[in-house]
Amino acid sequence: MIYLDYAATTPLDPQVFDAMLPYLAPGGADLLWANPASTHAPGFRARAGVEKARAQVAALIGAEPGEIVWTSGATESNNLAIKGALEFRGLDGAHVVTSRTEHKCVLDTCRYLETRGVRVTYLKPEADGIVTPEQVLEALTPQTALVSLMWVNNETGAIQDVERLAPLLRARGIQFHVDAVQAAGKLNIDLHATPIDLLSLSAHKLYGPKGVGALFVRKRPRARLAPQIHGGGHEQGMRSGTLATHQLVGMGAAFEVAASRREDDARKLGDLREALWQRLSVLPRILRNSPSSALSAAPHILNVSFEGVEGESLRASLPGVAVSSGSACSSATQEPSYVLRALGRSDEQANASLRFSLGRLTTAAEIEAAAARVIEKVQWLRELSPLWTP
Amino acid sequence: MVTGAIAVMDAVNLLQNPFGYSAPIWRLFNEAPHAGAFPAVAPDIATGTASTPAAPATLRLQARIRDSRVVDTRFRAHGCPTTIAVGAWIANWMVGRDVEELTQLGARVLRAELEIPDDRAHCALIGEDALQALLSAIRGISA
Repeated sequence: MIYLDYAATTPLDPQVFDAMLPYLAPGGADLLWANPASTHAPGFRARAGVEKARAQVAALIGAEPGEIVWTSGATESNNLAIKGALEFRGLDGAHVVTSRTEHKCVLDTCRYLETRGVRVTYLKPEADGIVTPEQVLEALTPQTALVSLMWVNNETGAIQDVERLAPLLRARGIQFHVDAVQAAGKLNIDLHATPIDLLSLSAHKLYGPKGVGALFVRKRPRARLAPQIHGGGHEQGMRSGTLATHQLVGMGAAFEVAASRREDDARKLGDLREALWQRLSVLPRILRNSPSSALSAAPHILNVSFEGVEGESLRASLPGVAVSSGSACSSATQEPSYVLRALGRSDEQANASLRFSLGRLTTAAEIEAAAARVIEKVQWLRELSPLWTP
Repeated sequence: MVTGAIAVMDAVNLLQNPFGYSAPIWRLFNEAPHAGAFPAVAPDIATGTASTPAAPATLRLQARIRDSRVVDTRFRAHGCPTTIAVGAWIANWMVGRDVEELTQLGARVLRAELEIPDDRAHCALIGEDALQALLSAIRGISA
């Protein structure tokens, strides 16, 4: 099996695994399984692990440890950021700006807020997936309370210019939330220099455990949130619930590893991605859905549409290659990728697309083998199609 | 012991047919017997094509007819694995049969033979429609 779906999830880094084990072990003199909120020695030791992890996460993104709020993952982080910011401000008359290519957990949260009376503008990106800062500024109204954009799109790898947009929004007094799940560990993130107010993170996209994430909540100027989970007042009152020490320690270790190798990883992944694109380019009539400019594309994602093939058959013909597909089954209840359609791709182009996402364990030999299989199967499906004209 | 054996079998099946298609659909999709087209239009070759608004699918069947009997077939398909399997199954089934026998094949039989689920019923219907179109073409060359 060739795994090229690292944007979906990643395996635990061995160092992360080792860091987590002492907090899971039932024995041990240190009792590291203790509740980190408890006021006794084992609780203090567990708390120390949590706080070390908080500092490790903060370090990767240029933040202060006290600005990191633990969550169960990026879906919760995005919910807390968007609903929390709007509810703290008051929903009446509020306006939110986002884009049509956000993750479902942002779009569904915005749609929920619409049912509560919030007005939402969904910006349409350019064909390369980029929403320009000028588009955002044009959409602002005196009632705009929040702009929410993802730093790196999870389907195409398109990079939004959040570093240029952030000071423009700060100058206008508008809160800025960024979903940075696919950006963390791939791009340089420095929140000391970039005035983003709220930023969502996930552990399992970065060789950490599933079920844990974080929300950066800026202290100065202070971003204020209404909590979405009540009880106990954990995490400065923003997110109650007993902290999952082993998960948090794992996320911290994963982010420390990522910080130590980010530039090397990004360079290697970018080289492999281009090698994959060059190899696939022997096929005529394929469309690169990811931006072709290195400045606009995250290094680990390549999204390609293959004209003349049906998406489900393309996916089914590659059982030994784990990739994501923009295809919908023929059932009327499912639709092709809404992200690719928002970029102006036709249903057929969106349906016949594959997202290759590369990771630390990806090798040049895997890229070559995967490309060879894709080329072979695309050619076969095209030859089989009565609609294909070379 | 038994649980372990089942787990191993499931793992093998998942690798070989990870998307859960029925066994006949998966086999026909991968083997695709009679895939292709006859090289040139000939007086003894009939062609029938059908599409469906339910999915981006087109199926083309070809049959070489001699003495009211199908002596060879080809199919081409654009669509999901079930559509391709339907084309392959019909193309294989037709070989050696009298033309009159072709009239007896319909979507119900296709669904049963290929274990086609309800949400893919349109794939069987496209097979029936392509066969009907082929029969019309056969009658054309016989007339």
